[in-house]
Amino acid sequence: MSTVTDLLQQVVEGLGSGAVYASLALALVLIHRFTGIVNFAQGELAMLSTYVAWQLVASGMPFWLALPVTLAVSFAGGMLVERIVIRPVQGAPELTVVIVTVGLFIFVNALAGLIWSFTVKDFPQPFPDGALDLAGVRVDWSTLGIIGVVAVVMGLLYLLFQHTSVGLVMRAVACNPASARLSGIRVGRVLMLGWGLAATVGAVSGVLVAPVLFLEPNMMGGVLIYAFAAATLGGFDSPVGAVVGGLFVGVAETLTGAYVDVIGADLKVGVPLVIILAVLLVRPQGLFGRAAVERA
Amino acid sequence: MSEPTTDRTEGAASTEPDFLEVRDLHAGYGQARVLQGLDFSVARGEVCAVLGPNGAGKTTTLRALCGMVRGRGSVTLNGAQLLGRSPEQAARLGVAHVPEGRGTFNELTVEENLHIGAHLRTGLRRRGRAGRAAVVADLERIYGYFPTLRRRSRQAAGSLSGGEQQMLAIGRALMLRPSLLLLDEPSLGLAPLVTRELFEIVRAVNEEERTTVVVVEQNAQLALGIAHRAHVLEAGRLVLSGPAAQIREDGQVAEVYLGVSVRSRKAG
Repeated sequence: MSTVTDLLQQVVEGLGSGAVYASLALALVLIHRFTGIVNFAQGELAMLSTYVAWQLVASGMPFWLALPVTLAVSFAGGMLVERIVIRPVQGAPELTVVIVTVGLFIFVNALAGLIWSFTVKDFPQPFPDGALDLAGVRVDWSTLGIIGVVAVVMGLLYLLFQHTSVGLVMRAVACNPASARLSGIRVGRVLMLGWGLAATVGAVSGVLVAPVLFLEPNMMGGVLIYAFAAATLGGFDSPVGAVVGGLFVGVAETLTGAYVDVIGADLKVGVPLVIILAVLLVRPQGLFGRAAVERA
Repeated sequence: MSEPTTDRTEGAASTEPDFLEVRDLHAGYGQARVLQGLDFSVARGEVCAVLGPNGAGKTTTLRALCGMVRGRGSVTLNGAQLLGRSPEQAARLGVAHVPEGRGTFNELTVEENLHIGAHLRTGLRRRGRAGRAAVVADLERIYGYFPTLRRRSRQAAGSLSGGEQQMLAIGRALMLRPSLLLLDEPSLGLAPLVTRELFEIVRAVNEEERTTVVVVEQNAQLALGIAHRAHVLEAGRLVLSGPAAQIREDGQVAEVYLGVSVRSRKAG
């Protein structure tokens, strides 16, 4: 294999895992835009959704039916989390809210362990085996499938936000909740909708990554760190940034793992941390984010 | 400045004297009690100016009317109690509040801002062809008052000038088809020419649509120019009420409030 095709091979694989990071980062960004909250429990909620999908498939439901059911359950779950856990601390100091989401992280993690135990479960691969040969570069159907699903999710979100009245109302709330209230918008309901949407997008990342990582309660821990790196790089306010950041982090991870000998497979988990640190030092608002401006 | 000299209290004052009734209104923020029992009423179709120095409680009065701060006492609009309601509920009762600092949705386009104003009539679901046609007609109405907004309809609200943002904020409030329009310091930070234009538009809206308006202003001359009645607030109490024309002539206001000759005040 030539060095160029080898490089391209690594890039393709990086894009595959990057798409997963992108979808979890998208969920993080959605919630941050609406509420200013960084939801540390986002990965765990995605993991819980993945268990729901697993349970449905294990009880005999075909995967492509189990998926929409799982997404619907996740949507409802996300709305409940906002109403029950987040609403009471809305407006509390930032640290309080952060601690609440960390508490939610631990709670959901333990709950999953309690119900499904901490032993690793096989998750069905929804995409066909085999690969496409593109000029010597092997592209797995599963990689293509993951990228395709994330692209569809992005497209649907774009349509929702830019071309529906619900989306317009959601953008208005994200932009200026006080004025939204004065226009008669029930902001609480819109925030619930935002959390439901984020949980759904997060669920997609969990279901996509489960066949690769195998399903267990701590599955999303690592993915969450990559997603944080992606959202930091792209800008915590920018959905487009989350996707670009996710793909970049995925490629950076594979390339350093493959080509930088001192890093290798064991140390590549350090890559997102280096990215987070570098972005915060050089351009804290991220590539697509807006610099923080204090509101009067 | 050319102020109209006609007494605008004629005509409006005689109809339904208690469209908005404020009785013994107390309000504040936490321990700070700002309003110490206000009583005033506004007739339907009237423009009412609330004047007073900084910290007198003008903004708090408007915020209590629209549910942004809690108040005690009674505020009724057309018989319905406004106190104890959230801003979104007050909006449903026909109260449109244009907050200090304008409160436009800066990342949304001008037209999207106006659509949000019509939210209560379109809701999350689009209510059929008739509903959409009504919104389009309203957009035309707003663009008629503010031709600049039509030219900028696809621009992000954040890129507008201060005056244009204030126009947009008022336009958005009018999209609600409010029965009561609350304006908080519309002249704040704007050039005198822009401010005068803005007040003329508010006057036109009031005359053409019979919208009741309560306007809070530092610039007393301007506010008195379009108001039928005026109330002067000081330290959370009404110190003077009457027809706008009379207050404008009143030497006491000029002295205490307009700052012609500043008298030492006991407590701030």
